Amino acid sequence: MSVPVKRPLVSVVDDDESVRESLPDLLRELGYSVRAFSSAEAFLASECVGETRCLILDIAMPGMTGPALQQELLVRGQAIPIVYITAQADEIVDSSSLGQGAVACLFKPFSDTALFEALNAVFRVN
Amino acid sequence: MRHEVAHGGYTAAQDVGLPPSRHREPINSAAESGTVTWVGLGIAEIAARVGGLIRQGLPLSVVLTTLCQLFDAAVKGFSSRILLLDPTAARARNTAGSYLAAGYMKELAAASAAPGFMLYELSPILSLTGDPLGIFALYRRECSPEVTRCHSALIPQFIHVAGAAIERMQSDEALKRNAALLERTQQLSSTCCFSWRVETGEISWSKELCQLFELDPSGVPVTLQLIGTRIHSEDLATFHEMIERARSGVSDIEFEHRLRLPDNSVKYLRVVAHRVRDQEGQLEYIGAVQDVTHRRHTEEALAKLRAELARAARVTSLGVLTAAIAHEVNQPLAGIVTNANTCRRMLAVDPPDIEGARETARRTIRDAERASEVVKRLRALFCKKGATRESLDLNEAIREVVALSLSELERNKVVVRMELAGELPRVHGDRVQLQQVILNLFLNASDAMSGVDDRPRQLMVKTERDEEDRVRLSVRDTGVGIEPQGVDRLFDAFYTTKSGGMGIGLSVSRSIIESHKGRLWATPNDGPGATFAFSMPCGPQDAMARHVRNL
Repeated sequence: MSVPVKRPLVSVVDDDESVRESLPDLLRELGYSVRAFSSAEAFLASECVGETRCLILDIAMPGMTGPALQQELLVRGQAIPIVYITAQADEIVDSSSLGQGAVACLFKPFSDTALFEALNAVFRVN
Repeated sequence: MRHEVAHGGYTAAQDVGLPPSRHREPINSAAESGTVTWVGLGIAEIAARVGGLIRQGLPLSVVLTTLCQLFDAAVKGFSSRILLLDPTAARARNTAGSYLAAGYMKELAAASAAPGFMLYELSPILSLTGDPLGIFALYRRECSPEVTRCHSALIPQFIHVAGAAIERMQSDEALKRNAALLERTQQLSSTCCFSWRVETGEISWSKELCQLFELDPSGVPVTLQLIGTRIHSEDLATFHEMIERARSGVSDIEFEHRLRLPDNSVKYLRVVAHRVRDQEGQLEYIGAVQDVTHRRHTEEALAKLRAELARAARVTSLGVLTAAIAHEVNQPLAGIVTNANTCRRMLAVDPPDIEGARETARRTIRDAERASEVVKRLRALFCKKGATRESLDLNEAIREVVALSLSELERNKVVVRMELAGELPRVHGDRVQLQQVILNLFLNASDAMSGVDDRPRQLMVKTERDEEDRVRLSVRDTGVGIEPQGVDRLFDAFYTTKSGGMGIGLSVSRSIIESHKGRLWATPNDGPGATFAFSMPCGPQDAMARHVRNL
């Protein structure tokens, strides 16, 4: 087992508890260090913003939505690659969002391969 | 003595077409002389000739001019003239010397100015009721002798004939005006009128009504039977029911029905009739028929739009609902998939992370339970109250659905035939749910026939008791039919062969029928089309009754 010396940090922001519990374990299995947040506001208030290499972000959340968080990060000059996840097929992130740092959009439930490919795309770019 | 006057007054008036005079007293003066001898035509002949002119339809001025010419020919040295009172002008009162409105004196003055003539006598022309109609003016040639006795007897008779002619023609004209006004009003309101003597069956129809019914007005007399040939077959029962109500003598009749005309076009009519007794005390209905086709078409177009709107709203709300359901279910599904994937990876490493795998498996189970909770909540939402089961007559339920969907079916040119078993046992079930199933089968049948033009679009709904003593309802159409190998898939949710369909109807219908311990199936017809049918057990009471009978 070859473990990277410094594991890149992936932050998960989703109001759904199932996702916050299950996704970090899978991401750790894939070799990342993970932090999970129940809201966009909680993520912004944390010390992880600067350290996060990839953001796995729910679109529809009470309070600040996924795309709103993306805009806020752009304003702050924090260019974090984003993988959107959504439970609603018609909540498709428009192409302009994808161009501004969003790399992929996964529809729940998604397979580990789909997640793996999306993360590969993020870290290859990096 | 007085009846001798008949020679002059009576006959003259009757020839002109009026009842005998009661007020034209001057005629008596002729009677006094016994016989009247004079040159030219007898007064009776003059009256007959004037009557002939009136019947020919000549204008009043021509008739009166001829009358004056006849007088002038009869009474040498005299000339007559008739001035008419305008019926709309101020009415002259019967006081001494004041029959005439002031304006007429000018006319008279002008008339008297004719060279070589001087005014001899002015006499009022009166109606039967003594109203002034005009003035009979008599002029004498300057060198003529005085009027003879027989001439003076002739003058009142002439005045009488003139009066009768004026009165008759003015009332004819008034009648004509009224008839023209009525006709115009009827045209404006698309209304026609009729009368019907119930005992004799005598029907008088306006020309417009004949046109409306496309009957030949000059042809055979209008009878109920003839009218019946134009009534839309589906409205014949209503029509006959109304006839029966009329025969029973109800005071007012009001109903709507359709006509099926020879070119197969359909008209919508509204009929209102009121009962009266004629002079002989016979029952008679006077009525009006209004063509409301245009209004009905507008209403139908509106109903169609409303139905389309409702359908769109339903599809939209279904779309919204589906998205909400998807969101609720996808959240726990995402957890399940992620947990299972993690679990597999934890077990694949060496050494396997058994504790981690156990934890992910636990979370998988928990998320699956969450998903099942969501489904349970949804079901509770849609079945807020338990189904209300009652004993019901399936035939009655069908009739209600037919009544509800008839306009939609008619719009699709579908002819509905019903063959409902006479003594159908009652069933036990939820009326609304079962009617939803029936309606669904009707609309499916209608949709299946929407492209059919080479044969009648016929929907036949039939009820019967089957071999297993269950109640069976079948809906047979003449539509595009079904593929024998596709029959089972028809009842799968979201399976549809229709471009606008959701594919839910039949699967929901089947689940409803199954919840009634019944069975829903489809079979291709021998000819074109398909038959959808369901059968279900009889209600408890009927089952009990049969059980008792079998003992």
